[in-house]
Amino acid sequence: MLKTIALVGNPNVGKTTIFNALTGLRQHVGNWPGVTVEKKEGIFEYKGREFLVVDLPGIYSMTAHSVDELIARNFILEGNADVIVDIVDSTCLMRNLFLTLELFEMGAKNVVIALNKFDLIKKKGVEIDIKAMEKALGVPVVPTNAKSGEGLEELKRTIVMMADGKITTNPIVVKYDDDIEREIQHVSEVLEGTPLAEKYPVRWLAIKLLQRDEEVIKLVLKYLGQSKMDEILKHIGELEEKYKRSLDIVMASQKYEFLEQLLRKFVRHPAEIRETLSDQLDKLLTHPVYGIISMLIVFYLLFQFVFTLGGPLQEWLDSAFSWLGEAIAPHITNETLRGLIVDGVIGGVGAVLSFFPLVFLLFVGMSILEDTGYMARIAAMMERFLRIFNLPGKAIIPMVLAFGCNVPAIMATRTLENERDRILTMLVNPLVPCVARMVVITFLADTFFPDKAALVAISIYAIAIALALISALILGKFFIKGEESPFIIELPDYSIPSWKTVIIHSWERSKEFLRKAATVILLGSIAIWYLSSYPQPVGTGLSYAERLGKALEPIAKLMGLDWKAAVSLIFGIIAKENVIATYSVIYGVGEESLAGAMVHAMTPLQAYVLALVTTLYLPCIATLAAIRAEGGTKWMSVAALYNLTLATIVGIIAYAIGSVI
Amino acid sequence: MYVPLTALNEGEAGVVIDIRGGPNARAKLIAMGIAPGVTIRVIKGRGPGPMIVAVGSSRIALGWGIANKILVRRV
Repeated sequence: MLKTIALVGNPNVGKTTIFNALTGLRQHVGNWPGVTVEKKEGIFEYKGREFLVVDLPGIYSMTAHSVDELIARNFILEGNADVIVDIVDSTCLMRNLFLTLELFEMGAKNVVIALNKFDLIKKKGVEIDIKAMEKALGVPVVPTNAKSGEGLEELKRTIVMMADGKITTNPIVVKYDDDIEREIQHVSEVLEGTPLAEKYPVRWLAIKLLQRDEEVIKLVLKYLGQSKMDEILKHIGELEEKYKRSLDIVMASQKYEFLEQLLRKFVRHPAEIRETLSDQLDKLLTHPVYGIISMLIVFYLLFQFVFTLGGPLQEWLDSAFSWLGEAIAPHITNETLRGLIVDGVIGGVGAVLSFFPLVFLLFVGMSILEDTGYMARIAAMMERFLRIFNLPGKAIIPMVLAFGCNVPAIMATRTLENERDRILTMLVNPLVPCVARMVVITFLADTFFPDKAALVAISIYAIAIALALISALILGKFFIKGEESPFIIELPDYSIPSWKTVIIHSWERSKEFLRKAATVILLGSIAIWYLSSYPQPVGTGLSYAERLGKALEPIAKLMGLDWKAAVSLIFGIIAKENVIATYSVIYGVGEESLAGAMVHAMTPLQAYVLALVTTLYLPCIATLAAIRAEGGTKWMSVAALYNLTLATIVGIIAYAIGSVI
Repeated sequence: MYVPLTALNEGEAGVVIDIRGGPNARAKLIAMGIAPGVTIRVIKGRGPGPMIVAVGSSRIALGWGIANKILVRRV
């Protein structure tokens, strides 16, 4: 068994940078069992020995009000870690050490503190006496500067020494008021002797009961029974009566007081509060007018970066896959096998894979925005507007990414802490038109409305975005219940991103896109290839796809469309550009002369409806696969069904209105 | 005089006296350093957009709803 090192800490303390420094490229991301919270693990090597490093979710406290907190808390409580590395932001000691004291309260003794961003605190003129800090807290403290790598060697050495049991610690314990201490003592005595006492530190259980922690109440109830529990709660009630407020508030303030006195032992010139340049900048960047203007500029630059750099790469990959298909084709004599490999596998998967550069670069851009601290400002600014539609401010990030590609956008919903917010954002995200749909929209707009192409295209975008917001409003109000989280967000200091972190992070996230291409998308492509080639190829009118199209014609007719549109839409599920490509197969013309052929076969109204429905109906398989990975099969089905229904209804209405006009 | 945090003007500071609101919001505020006895200074107050406050050297953006539930004593 490998010894386990767990990393804990507040968000934005440099945890990821330390994780990367410890594990390098030997890391992988999964999900914690049963939930969609990222689980990062890696191998840490030191002088030929290996350790398992687990990066616990970044949290502010161990109150278990969120999944993240619960995961971190249970991991520590169950004693899964041989060493706990508590990463503390030295520029914000008070709040960070609050978490440290909670760790100690939970009975964790095997703690090493990495005092990160140590260079910044020196610049602020604050002095921290490390020796005194170690003595005051009772555990080893290693000053680090993760970005430059300073102190990391020392940290590694200390971790290994602790894993080997060569360091003895004596973590400090918070002392509360006499009244509270007496109650803790009393509850502890009741709990002592139950099987719970063997599993959990009794003092911690008692403290959590006093704070009315729901999880702990449930746990204790199982062992003590209702009557004893009621007695304890009655005592707590009396105490609250005496303090005239709930004990969690009372104890928190005493804990901060305790911390303040503790800090005096090792910190000199505590940072005073004064307005900084970054505060000035924040006022501008969260301003409803200037903030939005600057956000638009930043997003414009982000897309410029992604498409200027990624566009040519995507085209190159696309033609590389075509070339590969053509090169392989003559060598496969079996016709079925050739179709399967060339059209099904290389054609289908290639179409999706060629988007990889865009996905990767989008993630690079996003990581940079996150690391500089700008994302938090955008979220803060958008909060009020998006709340109207039941979405959190942070949802702006996936929504904007979706204009590029829905796949990374769905993956980006991970940054939302609240389950309800995450599901809601995931469900409405596919309604935002991605680049592939832009291709279809502009092609149809150019072909059928040459004078008003831009206006037509914009109207479709506007309808799609409005529908996304209205959907969020309705789904959030009636279907997806859950507690709305209050808006509290930290604005981290602006900083220059660490390139290593940005690249590793982007690679980790986009790697999943590749894995999906190899699994779900592969199967989907093969299925669609099969439908279009059997029993006779598309164009003959006999293929399953065409029969399916004809079967769906009655529905399509309601929207003023024919079976050809139905077939195109079926193929559009692989990748939305296929809607156009399929028409060229059916008409048997190249894409160059397609416009001419289509103008004769369709009315402008039909074209408009087709563009609209293409934008709104089922997202492509890559997106569906992403929803499944992030939210599970249930939500993928809901998303698919919802989009299909919505597109049909909107299509019918649009056709009806258009016919009248 | 105890007032909600939202009553403070830009540049003003207050000591937190109590936090109203659900256990969820309370726990989050406490963990982020906003607890009774702590001094908060308003960086960006009234006006459109979220409120921005300074707690120690960290900056926290708060929605108006939650900021209204934080009671402070002006200093």
